[in-house]
Amino acid sequence: MLGTVNHRRAKTLYRRYGTKVVSYALLILLSLVMVVPFLWTLSTSLKGADEAIFSFPPKFIPEHLTFENYKAVWKTLPIPLYLRNSLILTFFGVLFPVFFSSLAAFPLARMEFKGRRFIFMLVIATMIIPVEVTMIPIYLILNKLGLIGTYAGVILPNAVSTFGIFLMRQAFLSIPREIEESAFIDGANVWQIWWKIMLPMVRPMMATLAILSFIASWNNFLWPLLLLDDSNMYPLTLGLYKLQGVFVSNMRYIAAGSIIALIPIMIVFISLQRYFAETAFSSSIKG
Amino acid sequence: MYKSYHAWFFLLPALVLLLVFNFIPAIWVILLSFMEYNVIQPMEWVGLANYIRLANDAEFWNALKNTLYYWFLVTPALVIIPIFVAVLVNQKLVGIKFFRLTIYFPFLVSVVVTAIMWGWMLRSDGVINYVLSLLNLEPVSWLTKKSTAMPSLAMITIWQGIGYYMLIYLGGLQAIPNELYESAELDGAGFLRKQWHITFPMLRPVIFFVAVVSTMAAFKEFTLMLVMTEGGPLGATQTVVYLIFEKAFRSLDMGYASTIATVLFVIILALTILNRRFLDRETS
Repeated sequence: MLGTVNHRRAKTLYRRYGTKVVSYALLILLSLVMVVPFLWTLSTSLKGADEAIFSFPPKFIPEHLTFENYKAVWKTLPIPLYLRNSLILTFFGVLFPVFFSSLAAFPLARMEFKGRRFIFMLVIATMIIPVEVTMIPIYLILNKLGLIGTYAGVILPNAVSTFGIFLMRQAFLSIPREIEESAFIDGANVWQIWWKIMLPMVRPMMATLAILSFIASWNNFLWPLLLLDDSNMYPLTLGLYKLQGVFVSNMRYIAAGSIIALIPIMIVFISLQRYFAETAFSSSIKG
Repeated sequence: MYKSYHAWFFLLPALVLLLVFNFIPAIWVILLSFMEYNVIQPMEWVGLANYIRLANDAEFWNALKNTLYYWFLVTPALVIIPIFVAVLVNQKLVGIKFFRLTIYFPFLVSVVVTAIMWGWMLRSDGVINYVLSLLNLEPVSWLTKKSTAMPSLAMITIWQGIGYYMLIYLGGLQAIPNELYESAELDGAGFLRKQWHITFPMLRPVIFFVAVVSTMAAFKEFTLMLVMTEGGPLGATQTVVYLIFEKAFRSLDMGYASTIATVLFVIILALTILNRRFLDRETS
């Protein structure tokens, strides 16, 4: 009797906690796999000059924890310059797609005009043209426009996002008609309706698009690589890529530089996390 | 209320940009594929010469083979693993949000930083080989050995992509009505049976979507190869887009590079049409 009761009890205990324990174990394992490369880089960036980076067994906790590498990187390498360049490029890399997509999506969602369907189809068709296919002609066009070696060249190919137009159109479509009508009666012009009435109502979608654009331009590597020759103009991604080849000897610096490059992404990610599920779902419409 | 010139006024900046950086390039790349152009001399029409060269180019076939290999390593893993991860993080557990964010984060990291971090992990005296040594296995020089270079890059791509596809699956999972699971429970179905009979069938459209998206991503990948292995060792990680990049911007063989790009374009278009067909069938 007692045995079966115990057995039954164990079974309910397992039912209640067993899956939880297994779940947590798997979650912790998976998260470790995800963060180990970051932790390893962080640890390398905090190791003193006299400490071996690659020892068997590897040391995750630095023996002589020091911020010297960060100071050195800041003073002797052009990291502050690269950071500034990245910020400039990212500023326009967020502003332009959000602005131009919000402009273009407005008539596509709210106005009746000849050719609307055609233009919208065109936008959708453009979404399937990958930059990997068109990078050669884009380069040649930028060359014709005299934009090789300029930030304009890096920014313009991504200045409008067809996917952004698509997203913003969805957002504008959900606004009820009466709002515009009453604004018209109050004597607002088209520009005012767009700027003062429509845009504030699609702010969440603008935020989503801004985040997607932020990540894309902060990590933009292809266009800086193809267009920028002057090392004073490098953004952080390209700068780290070039430094990595030169400073093979000082990995601690490269590690510190990588961590610096990660910080803005982490800040945006943590402070705006509630938008991120949204971005993943909305970018999943893209295909 | 609105006049049609209003519409064109709002559309104009975007349309000009799309024209210059999307439409013209898409047509131009096809035209260029029939030309010879090395930037210095004017473009010269060569008919199908580039295509004939392509058909006989061992380098191209090697790149295509490598791309297919990379796709074969990456896509099945990225279609299947994130389903299980999504089921795992779809539970109501304390701290589940933290785990979701942690698993998703690698997706946001630039290819350069990813390459730096994993380059160190994969060194012959790196962390991965240390773990192998604990299991009494010989160290491997992952990125410089022909047989392990591509699998290493594939592993990095999988590491980076799991969180992204997990979120997409999570959206799919949360759209499944809870009543299905409840009634299955009443019929005495356990955890695994519920996944097999409810989760998988209900996720079918999402699974297909993930398969297409990750396939396209695999066919377009080249920056990881560029920053980690430069296509080596001995061309073992040279993918189709890597070859386009190399021919166009290192050998300045823009015409021939455009021929390869056009072939890739056709492949991507075919995948897109396939995707549409399937989605139409699913929704009708």
